[in-house]
Amino acid sequence: MKIPNKKKLIPLIIIQTIKIYPVTLFLFALLVIFSSLYPEKFLTPLNLSTILRQFVSLMLFALGPSIVVVTGSLDLSYVGIWMLGGILVWLLMPTLGMFSILVIPLLGLATGFIVGVIQAKAKIPSFILTLSVLVIYCGLTGTISGGISRSVRGYEFITARLIPYIPTALLWTVPIIIAAVFIMKYTKIGIYLYAIGSNEEGARLAGINVDKYKILAFTISGLFTGIGSVIYFQHQGGAVPVVLNLNTMVWPLVAIVLGGTPLTGGSGGPQKTILGALTFTVLCRGLTLSFLDPTMIQLITGLLLIASIVASSRGSKGITVL
Amino acid sequence: MNNIGPIIAAIAIIGVFQLINPTFLRYQGIITLVYAMSYFLIAACGLTFVIMMGSFDFSVLSLLKLAALICVLYIDKFGLLVIPLALSICVGFGFINGLLFAKLKVPSFMATLGISVVVEGISLYLSKGFLHIMNDRTFRSLSVTFIAGIPSIFYWAIGVWMLCTFIAIWTPFGRRIYAVGGNPIGAMLSGINVESNRIYVFMLSGFFAGLAGILYMAQFGGGSIEMGADMTIPLFASVVAGGTALTGGVGGPHRTLLGVIIITWIQAGLLMIGAGRSIQMVIFGLIAIVMGISTIDRRRIKIIK
Repeated sequence: MKIPNKKKLIPLIIIQTIKIYPVTLFLFALLVIFSSLYPEKFLTPLNLSTILRQFVSLMLFALGPSIVVVTGSLDLSYVGIWMLGGILVWLLMPTLGMFSILVIPLLGLATGFIVGVIQAKAKIPSFILTLSVLVIYCGLTGTISGGISRSVRGYEFITARLIPYIPTALLWTVPIIIAAVFIMKYTKIGIYLYAIGSNEEGARLAGINVDKYKILAFTISGLFTGIGSVIYFQHQGGAVPVVLNLNTMVWPLVAIVLGGTPLTGGSGGPQKTILGALTFTVLCRGLTLSFLDPTMIQLITGLLLIASIVASSRGSKGITVL
Repeated sequence: MNNIGPIIAAIAIIGVFQLINPTFLRYQGIITLVYAMSYFLIAACGLTFVIMMGSFDFSVLSLLKLAALICVLYIDKFGLLVIPLALSICVGFGFINGLLFAKLKVPSFMATLGISVVVEGISLYLSKGFLHIMNDRTFRSLSVTFIAGIPSIFYWAIGVWMLCTFIAIWTPFGRRIYAVGGNPIGAMLSGINVESNRIYVFMLSGFFAGLAGILYMAQFGGGSIEMGADMTIPLFASVVAGGTALTGGVGGPHRTLLGVIIITWIQAGLLMIGAGRSIQMVIFGLIAIVMGISTIDRRRIKIIK
């Protein structure tokens, strides 16, 4: 095989990247558009830093679900884990002290496991199940907190400023993202999850214990969400709201789909979600800076969600059952 | 189990709450229940058709809000014409839902979720977040005219319910919905135009969501973007609690009446014993899961995502 000569290498890499990650084009276009429209506001270090902050927030919640989506299921409970986790920290602070922060990843782990078991054994469609879990957790959060937003002090070290303009949360997040991508691309677990997403029946016939790996997928997702919630929790100032915001729930989904992970599963995953989250954050930031009505952002989010799903579902044939 | 279960549950719940508070069933209590139940029942009937078909419609509540908001915002400009306006818009969104699902193969919950975000965005944009008060007497009389001691919205609800039951059981259209829900591939092979029927069903669901919203606005007389914040799960729970399974092909609007009674009774009862909104969320989430588990037809599902 002829090795392409050095001059052609870089364009070749770029074309390959665009083929694998088509959303890069979109991202690039957005960056160009917004930079040229609002150069004074968009290209400032402060703005870029804000973009990174929002990207981190989005990514922390999108990481877990992006693993579940690869198997073809959905996990909508991430907001719930964050909220309930947060309020549990507040609750357990007097007794457990600093260690109470550990309750969040544990909660995520436990939730993921329970959801996975119910999904695998009782066969409820995952999104209804996780949506109900979300609602239950929200309710529990409200019950425990008495309806008031509570905050917890003492964990500021997690997000204390280290490098100017780069949010410390990003430094925590990068290893987590790398871990997620590693699991999905280079371990047996990851490969099996992709197999289950592509063709569950085939995977089963090939000898993969589908139930076990589905439970594993949900558990891992819960764990990542839990860890992410710890960071996000402090990112937000150590408090959780008690109202359910539809946006917070939908944005990670948009990031996942925009990045190129089809909802039917089988491809994509955390590595693609990174780009999706980045693109969406840039878009939101740009729109906020523009003169559009802030409420328009929600509209555009919804349209974007639909458009991305349509674009990624093009391959489906036949009768969709659901 | 599917047939007797909801009836037993309804009687049990009524019994339990009666024991807790014997004055529950006085006239005032019944009126409160009627007010809570009626618009809910209308929206739930629309949703029932979708679930009967084996799909989901997240956007019912958002469309309800949009219809209500359109009424209150434009009643001064258009008078009572806001009613057909709101209804057409809701049917239009239902049509888009159906299109996304049937033609573009977007999974129904995703399509309706996206649409509900869009609709919420529109509602937010139109209402600017403020509370709006409905002052038009004629409009409000739609729901609050007392006939034989019961507010008119109740008669609307019962009328809608009877209409939906009729459509489901005695029209070819209804039969087709059952067929598509019970066995989509079989339905297609026997000549049913699955895609068109799916679109019609989503339009129907949109229509009833809009109707529920209009009557809701007439009943309450005011509203903002915050109303009905987390009613999606109770709505879904009431359809499933009535015996309409998620897998589709069984149940129907006649069962939904029972489900709505159960859910609204639980809601009222919980309020009565002082349980706040949060506990209600927990309980309804649990109910949704439990009812979902118990009504799913195991035989038909090999692969569930």
